[in-house]
Amino acid sequence: MFRRWMEIARLRFRSLTRRQQVERELDREIRFHVDQQTEENIAAGMTPEEARYAALREFGRVTQRSEECRDRRRLNMLDSVVQDIRYALRGMRRDPMLAVVAAFSLAICIGANTTIFSIVDTVLLRPLPYPDAGRLYWITELLGRPPVEVAVAGDYFSLSEESRVFSRVAAYDNTTLNWAGVEKPEQVDAAQVTSSFFRVFGTAPRMGRYLTPSEDGPQSPSVVVLSYSFWRTRLGSDAHVIGRTLTLDRQPCTVIGVMPQGFDYPQNTQMWRPYDLDEAEQKQRMRMRIVQIVARLKPRVSEAQLDAEMNRLTASIRAEYPKEFNGAFLAHMRILAAPLQRRMIGDLRPALLALTGAVSLVLLIACVNLANLLLARAVSRQRELAVRLALGSARGRIVRQVLTESVVLALPGGLAGVGVALLAVTGLNFWKPLVLDRYPAISLDIPTLALTLGLTVLTGIAFGLAPALTAARLSIQDALKGEGRAISTARVRKLLVTVELAVSLMLLIGAGLLARSFLTLARTDLGFPPGNLLTMRVNLVPSQYPTGVRQVRFYEDVLARVRLLPGVPAAASATDVPLDGLQPWTGMAFDIVGHPPLPRAQRPQAAGAVVSPGFFHTMGIPLRRGRFFDAHDSATTIMVDESFAHAIFPGEDPIGRQIKAAGDPLTIVGVVGSVRGSTLTGGSPVPQNNRGNSPTGALMPRFYHCDCTPQPSPFLGRMALIVRTTGDPRAAIRAVEDQVFAVDRNQPVFDVKTMEERLDASLAPERFHLLIIGVFALIAMVLAAVGVYGVMSYLVTWRTREIGIRVAMGAQPAVVARLVVAESVALAAFAAVAGLAGAWVLTRYVKSMLYGVSTLDPATFAIAPFALIAVVVAASFGPAWRAARVDPMEALRHD
Amino acid sequence: MSRPSDLIQGTLDLLILKTISLEPKHGWAIAKRIQLVSEDVLQVTQGSLYPALHRLEQQGWIASEWKETETGREAKFYSLTRPGRRQLESELAQWERLSQAIGLVIRTV
Repeated sequence: MFRRWMEIARLRFRSLTRRQQVERELDREIRFHVDQQTEENIAAGMTPEEARYAALREFGRVTQRSEECRDRRRLNMLDSVVQDIRYALRGMRRDPMLAVVAAFSLAICIGANTTIFSIVDTVLLRPLPYPDAGRLYWITELLGRPPVEVAVAGDYFSLSEESRVFSRVAAYDNTTLNWAGVEKPEQVDAAQVTSSFFRVFGTAPRMGRYLTPSEDGPQSPSVVVLSYSFWRTRLGSDAHVIGRTLTLDRQPCTVIGVMPQGFDYPQNTQMWRPYDLDEAEQKQRMRMRIVQIVARLKPRVSEAQLDAEMNRLTASIRAEYPKEFNGAFLAHMRILAAPLQRRMIGDLRPALLALTGAVSLVLLIACVNLANLLLARAVSRQRELAVRLALGSARGRIVRQVLTESVVLALPGGLAGVGVALLAVTGLNFWKPLVLDRYPAISLDIPTLALTLGLTVLTGIAFGLAPALTAARLSIQDALKGEGRAISTARVRKLLVTVELAVSLMLLIGAGLLARSFLTLARTDLGFPPGNLLTMRVNLVPSQYPTGVRQVRFYEDVLARVRLLPGVPAAASATDVPLDGLQPWTGMAFDIVGHPPLPRAQRPQAAGAVVSPGFFHTMGIPLRRGRFFDAHDSATTIMVDESFAHAIFPGEDPIGRQIKAAGDPLTIVGVVGSVRGSTLTGGSPVPQNNRGNSPTGALMPRFYHCDCTPQPSPFLGRMALIVRTTGDPRAAIRAVEDQVFAVDRNQPVFDVKTMEERLDASLAPERFHLLIIGVFALIAMVLAAVGVYGVMSYLVTWRTREIGIRVAMGAQPAVVARLVVAESVALAAFAAVAGLAGAWVLTRYVKSMLYGVSTLDPATFAIAPFALIAVVVAASFGPAWRAARVDPMEALRHD
Repeated sequence: MSRPSDLIQGTLDLLILKTISLEPKHGWAIAKRIQLVSEDVLQVTQGSLYPALHRLEQQGWIASEWKETETGREAKFYSLTRPGRRQLESELAQWERLSQAIGLVIRTV
């Protein structure tokens, strides 16, 4: 059997490669047959001419026979494809406008598709750059009320000891280190990690070694592992760096290893140091330290096994908590494991999927549009096609030719689309939008390009299908008589335009929702004027500033100097800067003095911040009641914000009331306006990426301590400086930094940003989504408008005669024009209904991108159809005008 | 442009294979032979003969060769290949079964 196939393949191959010879042989064979027949006819008594004529007649048309023989050799397939392509190219030259419109619209749509797909590919699909990265998991615990995702060090120890499905578990936390630097000190992004950390990732150090288990724990030695980029750019690729001593946090610290290029976890980390977790203390789960946990799954562990293990661990870890935590705090407690990659992608995932859907819709519109244009051409070509059918061309063959033409028409657009995508990707990488900041540079790779090619061909076939099928159903008689199937294509074309309009409306509604969401967010009342504010962070080294008093004195000294700078009316320090995107203090649970004490789990919670007395004045936060802090306030006076007052003392005057957590009762002396917390969307961010679920504008109650009489606090050493300026805040950066160096020349500042830059960054995802969907909706509307224009023009041309008769009967031009516009409005109305229904189903997929707007926002759903109808009316003005100017004499003489 | 039905096409294939099973023949001779043996009942139109020959050749059941005829002209001679012979046998067997079956049906009805 196999030999037979080989033989057949050989023969086919011969037919293909030695075309000329095969053709010659075929000719000779047929000539031989005709000659033989002629001779026989002569023998039967015919004259030579008669004999030959009879032989030929009997044989039939020689060429047709050779055609059939060629067909049998499957040669025609290839032959005719080449022919069709040539024919298509000739057609393109005859009708360059169509070719240009096709190339242009496809270039944009396929370019957009390729761009989105390359983003999806880079962000979602490409695995993390670690061996067997699919087995890396991120582990958290659902804890508290309302439940938040957070991991504590106790979980890490329990997991390391008990887990049966993870081969290794590691805990880490982000931090910063003060590096004495070369010329001036720098605050460097660092991580504290357990010794298992690098082994979880499975990446070997480029030089030296990584941490060993003996280096874990509170007595961890002063050693550090460096990142490739730090070693390269800051230490000049020093080949003898292992064993070298760096001054970190003013202490000598020995370099023990350098990680290879590309090891970047947690992101931007330049140094990894041992984690000083006290195992015995953390296992008691009283003074819990918040950590982050990553783990590597053992090979061949199924999803079900992982789930079962998580359930088991949930039960066993819940039992480890002391009794005080029972109740609401542990009510929703669960141990969760999520693939690390999905965790790192975060909230971009649903957004990217929604964008992919949207961009496919744009391509759909482009296809429908081109199908429409080709249908128009098919009508003008139906006589040609009918003639070919009458001459014996197979219908299948004609369908194939029409499809070939549309694919050929699509190819330049596809190629140009790659160009557009390259431009877009380069642009994205150049003006890196903040949302893509965390990801590697977007690149167009082979799979993406292959996808583009496939998309192009598919597109060609898709928009060629309608004209091809029309051609297949063509009635020869009708077409030759010139009646054509114009009515039928008119109906198809109207249907296609309706589809186009409906899909555009869906995109328009999507863009409308995002725009509303963006505006809601951008117009969020921050609670303070964001202009002319400069912020920067200063993390003090614990060994140099061991006490709260020393720490606060440092900030006071700096602020005193900064306030003397020209153009600086006010300056303050605070543990939390609004919109810094950092996790604030976790909520503090407290009792209200005078109310019966509640069990721990039911106590009210509030976020606290420590500020200098000038904070409210500097920020521009208004006082609502009572008084501001003054220099004599003790550690037991606090100020609260309005949401605190409303939540804790509804309908009462909070001034003079007391709350009590640990230690002395705290007395409220003033109420200030509420401000946004570390993100725009809420008072305090839920430490997980589901901002879509946080109730709009629900601000966490907040209270302020004054740093006048400082309590020892880990947060006092990590304050931010806030400087109000009269001019451009960026101009003050150098001067402020100099004042910090003047107080302590070893103390760097970092995270220097104006408040407006922070506001900008908070809006980045929304701006990005809005920009992209907005561009898509715009493209869609333009394409749809072109479609409406095309169809209405066609209808006007087709009905010239009818219009002529109407005008001859006395119809006013305005009436005729109105007729055309009314027809297109009817189309738009149909489309609006379909589009609204489609949007009603689809907008739920953009839910995660929306803030403060319902997915079925009535305003957007009400306004968008009118925008669509307006565009449609505008697009049909041209044809309407032409209809109004139809000269009845001309029209009736036509044909 | 109706294509010959499977029965007709299959029958023509069978006739061709059978005709060249004794000795290689060129196309004209195959047509003549079929006409002759069937006493002019079966007229092979040349329009279906040559496509059939080319198809059979592509399937590897027959092979072709340019040879001189007795009149001294070059002609393309077709001969049965080994798979072709097997194909002929199976088609013959099938044909016999079919004609028997048809005979039975005709006789009983």
